[in-house]
Amino acid sequence: MANKELIVVQDVCYTYPNGVEALRGVNLVINKGDFCAIVGQNGSGKTTLAKHFNGLLKPTQGNVWVEGYNTTQCRVSEMSRLVGYVFQNPDDMLFCSTVEEEIAFGLRMLRFTKEEINHRVENVLELLKLQGLRTQHPFALSLGDRQRVAVACVLSLAPEIFVFDEPTTGQDHLGALSIMSVIQELHTKGCTIVIITHDMRLVAEYASRVIVMNRGQSIIDAPPAVAFKNYNFLEELSLRPPQVTQLATLLGHDEHAILNTKDFCNWLSSRIKPNVQNQTSEA
Amino acid sequence: MKDERSTTQNTIDQPSRRWDVKGRILGIPISLVVIWAALFVTASAIPALPVPGMGGVITINAIMTAISGVVLGPAAAVANMAGGIISMLLFPFGAFLGPLSFLTVTVGGLVSGLLLANRWKLAGVVELLVVATWFVNPDSWQTLMWIVPLPYTAVTLLVIFFPPLRHWARKQILSLDRVRIWPAMFLYVTVAHSAEFLTTNAMVNWMYDLSWQYWVPTWLYWVSVDTVIIVISTIIGVGVLTGLHRARLPHATEIYR
Amino acid sequence: MATSAFIPANTFLHRLDARSKLIALLTILAIAMILDHPVYILGLLGIVLFSWLAARLPLNFLGNIFKYFSGIALLIFCIQLFFYPGEIYLLHLSRPIPLIGFSGYISLEGVLYGLALILRLIVILTIAPLLVMTTPLSELMLALVKFKIPYRFAFILTTAMSLLPSIQNRAELIQQAQLCRGVADFEQGNLILRLRASASLLIPLILGAFRDSQTLEVAISSRAFGAPVQRTYLLETHLRPVDYSLIMASGLLLLFSLWIRWG
Ligand SMILES: Nc1ncnc2c1ncn2[C@@H]1O[C@H](COP(=O)(O)OP(=O)(O)O)[C@@H](O)[C@H]1O
Ligand SMILES: [Mg+2]
Repeated sequence: MANKELIVVQDVCYTYPNGVEALRGVNLVINKGDFCAIVGQNGSGKTTLAKHFNGLLKPTQGNVWVEGYNTTQCRVSEMSRLVGYVFQNPDDMLFCSTVEEEIAFGLRMLRFTKEEINHRVENVLELLKLQGLRTQHPFALSLGDRQRVAVACVLSLAPEIFVFDEPTTGQDHLGALSIMSVIQELHTKGCTIVIITHDMRLVAEYASRVIVMNRGQSIIDAPPAVAFKNYNFLEELSLRPPQVTQLATLLGHDEHAILNTKDFCNWLSSRIKPNVQNQTSEA
Repeated sequence: MKDERSTTQNTIDQPSRRWDVKGRILGIPISLVVIWAALFVTASAIPALPVPGMGGVITINAIMTAISGVVLGPAAAVANMAGGIISMLLFPFGAFLGPLSFLTVTVGGLVSGLLLANRWKLAGVVELLVVATWFVNPDSWQTLMWIVPLPYTAVTLLVIFFPPLRHWARKQILSLDRVRIWPAMFLYVTVAHSAEFLTTNAMVNWMYDLSWQYWVPTWLYWVSVDTVIIVISTIIGVGVLTGLHRARLPHATEIYR
Repeated sequence: MATSAFIPANTFLHRLDARSKLIALLTILAIAMILDHPVYILGLLGIVLFSWLAARLPLNFLGNIFKYFSGIALLIFCIQLFFYPGEIYLLHLSRPIPLIGFSGYISLEGVLYGLALILRLIVILTIAPLLVMTTPLSELMLALVKFKIPYRFAFILTTAMSLLPSIQNRAELIQQAQLCRGVADFEQGNLILRLRASASLLIPLILGAFRDSQTLEVAISSRAFGAPVQRTYLLETHLRPVDYSLIMASGLLLLFSLWIRWG
């Protein structure tokens, strides 16, 4: 099933109780297997949109369907088995006295059997390489490890779709890489990924699709290679595509945007070679 | 404050940094007192437990009061008082004791906080004052009224005035022993909560003259409510204290060990 | 969540100085506790309710308070009705039941005292809203400072209030994060579930706030906390003749009620 629609967002508007109109008519479909990046300025409504994907927020207008269920009719704790939402700050989630207990807590609240809980905890510990930390106190871990534990808690519910809200913000390069490799692994295992980020290099490297939010609307929804083509426009939204992409465009590349150095080199060499030949022939 | 030092020092890793802010209240940085007050107000707005027959709810700040002394020491009294006053200013409706509600949470934090600071004589004086305000009221001498403060006030008096228990509980709290912190936390939480509810009961009786015909039949109900609050506060108290310790965040046990 | 209960308007009560209102509130509270005859407390309640109307405060708030506390009011009344050891019998109900302390009669004193207690309850419940809804928070704080509550305590009150929005946001985020890992909704479910959910809220909330304390310390030091200087306030207020009269009236009323009760 290649193009199974998992999340359908239809004409969604959302106004916070204090009157801020955070979403103004968003339409989009997230398909099975997507690796979808949501980008946009601060306050453009990314988080608000993402919180609609598992019913944390219910649209004030329009509808959101997740695997055929309308989110207004479901409880979040039930939705958590379909859509896993990982908050930016792991400290908003962690509170138990060991990593193991932490992962098991949600399962216990959802009344899984003991064997099932043990089984899942083991699986998740292995997948996130947390076996060595199982009896550690979550608060004694580094930020990166705490982030992984928070992912583990969500992962233990075995959702098909994952939403990550700025998972790399505030982390150093290595921390960001380790989180991204976890996300990449989930994706190769068949999960659908939605990630909110400010890091265009991550978008270029991992995402199959980028959604640009501006003032509560999604203004671009395309693969990164297409979306980054018009980078002048993106710059107005203070979104800077990776430097290779900018460089290629400056040098006159006008097809799909170039996303990494390898493509750039290929393109450059293909452009330079004829010139080099011309020059030699003239001489 | 001094005698416990040698026994517990070895088992505890040193806090990673020192506090160097001048503004302190009863030994605790003023920033923590401020934060606790704000947390207290936030917690007052979260209903936890409907109370049949009393037309009210017990909010999560019953839990906050119960654990405040262990987290902040005697400064908990100041923090709870500030929190109580702000709650009254922001949500003036439904305070059964009117503008005086903040007194009860102040007393709760004070007694357990003083105990943590090893100022047990002062803690004893405050607790005895609370017991006195209850028993000075003639209503409290009616049939069977002596069971009302029981059993938790008895436990509290025992923790304060029976030296072995007092030393043991304090030592376990300060050393954060993995297992023994549980009963010790139970005792500290009981001290705080019983001081709070006895103050509340005493004030209710002074204001509204509820006689034994109310207190005695509802005794079992109230004991169960208090038990639930004490148990959950114990769980949360242990979680908060070990968390603060593991995350190397400033709190009272760092000062008093 | 509300950040202030103040209801702006330009009435007599709104214009009074916060200090004189605070004194009046404490006086009324004291009088409500001192007096125990329903007629006097009714008079007191009359003052409170008249002020409520004069300040144009919403009447449905009063209605809500009454509805919310009607159960306890009835309870308080019934206890006095049946068990007050009065001497002027109004109504014979049954034979005496010594087991529950019931004399078999309903006495006049019981009825009166029960009424007094209900009225006292209403005064105590309505007096704080009356003050808070007619006075901006900043003025209340200033009044407390002017009453010479320790400066540090006033500092704690104001700083804590300014932290509230961020802590409440945090609490909301944490609740959402817990929902996402399967914790059942916080305001549903049975007692045990709800209390377990409260653990998953309170622990991260407290720890997160303590983590932020470092930032707050910096902010506090930069406000030169503890510096021994004469503080000046943007909001300077002066007691006007009406305020003095209110304070005088409060004092006289207090003396009068002391005289009624014990004189
Ligand atoms: N809990 C909230 N209450 C009120 N307004 C909010 C809340 N959360 C966000 N907003 C407002 O909604 C808008 C969109 O916010 P958000 O979705 O968080 O943006 P982003 O994640 O893109 O930075 C902003 O203007 C923000 O101020
Ligand atoms: Mg965001």
